[in-house]
Amino acid sequence: MDPISEDDLHAFVDDQLTAERREHVVRHLREHPDDSARVSSYIALRGALRAALAEQVDGPIPSRLNPHVIAHQIRSRRTIWSAAAAVVLAFGLGGGGGWYLRASITPKPSSMAMLLQEAVANHIVYTADRRRPTELGPDQRDDLARWVSNRMNRQVAPPDLSSAGYKYLGGRLAATNSGPAGMFMYQNEHNIRLTIFVRPVGIDGNAPIEHVGSGVLDGFGWVSKGIGYSVVAAVPSDELQKVAEEVQRLVEPRA
Amino acid sequence: MSDVVVNEIETYLPALRRYAWALMRNRYDADDLVHDCVARALDKLHTRREDADMRAWLFTIMHNLFISQHRRRKARPETELLDDTHDHAARSEPSQEDRLHWRDMLRALERLPEEQRTVVLLVSVEDLSYAETASVLGVPIGTVMSRLARGRERLRQFTDSDVRPQLRRVK
Repeated sequence: MDPISEDDLHAFVDDQLTAERREHVVRHLREHPDDSARVSSYIALRGALRAALAEQVDGPIPSRLNPHVIAHQIRSRRTIWSAAAAVVLAFGLGGGGGWYLRASITPKPSSMAMLLQEAVANHIVYTADRRRPTELGPDQRDDLARWVSNRMNRQVAPPDLSSAGYKYLGGRLAATNSGPAGMFMYQNEHNIRLTIFVRPVGIDGNAPIEHVGSGVLDGFGWVSKGIGYSVVAAVPSDELQKVAEEVQRLVEPRA
Repeated sequence: MSDVVVNEIETYLPALRRYAWALMRNRYDADDLVHDCVARALDKLHTRREDADMRAWLFTIMHNLFISQHRRRKARPETELLDDTHDHAARSEPSQEDRLHWRDMLRALERLPEEQRTVVLLVSVEDLSYAETASVLGVPIGTVMSRLARGRERLRQFTDSDVRPQLRRVK
């Protein structure tokens, strides 16, 4: 049997010995009071360290550290980048690419699907812009509302979504094949960005809220008194639906 | 990114926060480190060997992040050692004596050279095997053992003279 080494004493403290070796160490400690005292204080230190550190990080874990939240952020970042890359590729290829783009993103040109396509395209371009995602910031909310309303000839304004956990970041005027549109951007506590995209749809009617998948990002859209609204964000669709319904409630003209 | 793996990572959050706290010595930097570690892990899941131990793998990522991002920063002054932003009110209070003892314990830990501190923490707080600790830190097992021995002996001396000076006089 090998003589008891310093390593054995530590492995005894950390319970990393085989049963057989452990017995030998126990026998050694019985015969060597100095080592025995030292090992006892190592064991006490181990306990005290654990207690002291447990005390420091006790309490609820902040939600930003939740791996599910972080995984979701990574997934949506990947989706946005691959979508943005697809858009760049399509435009970059010129004529042929343009044809490809039209073929891939306009399978059925219902007005709701069209609105959502525009909304998603703008969402992808502007939410990914870290430096200047909006033209007019949160402190110019009224200016933006006036600008967009004038250009569209309809009264619209960015609703306050703080009740749904989204902070207003600002917005801009956007261009579509059907004329000017307004885009309002928001962000939640996980830094996920949401956009409301709005423009007149050319008919003076209403359409109920519906879920529209664009193939890249999903959104919800509806028409209220001739104005088409859509809400897009890289969040689960049941969650997005709740926000969309809240937007619908907030922008609905008071009877 | 399967939910199973994400769930598994979630179970190691308390251990990651504890180790990060001991490295960074304040709650905010520690949680930033945990966040970066989890994000890196999720991003690099495809590079992980199927049979690799998840916990040791996470500690390896955290250690590498700590080395590359944070080591150059000056250690916080000792007054910030204890995280006073912590809300103690909601829980059952540990005794004053416990708390003083813990404070001394953490002070002593602070005084260890970093290479000894990481070994002592991984082995005796996080229960990693010596082989896992060696792999997390990228050093041979022999180095782990000698750092552990030196680290523990220093801790014992610090706490013996700091916490119980009266015993010393009696000797």
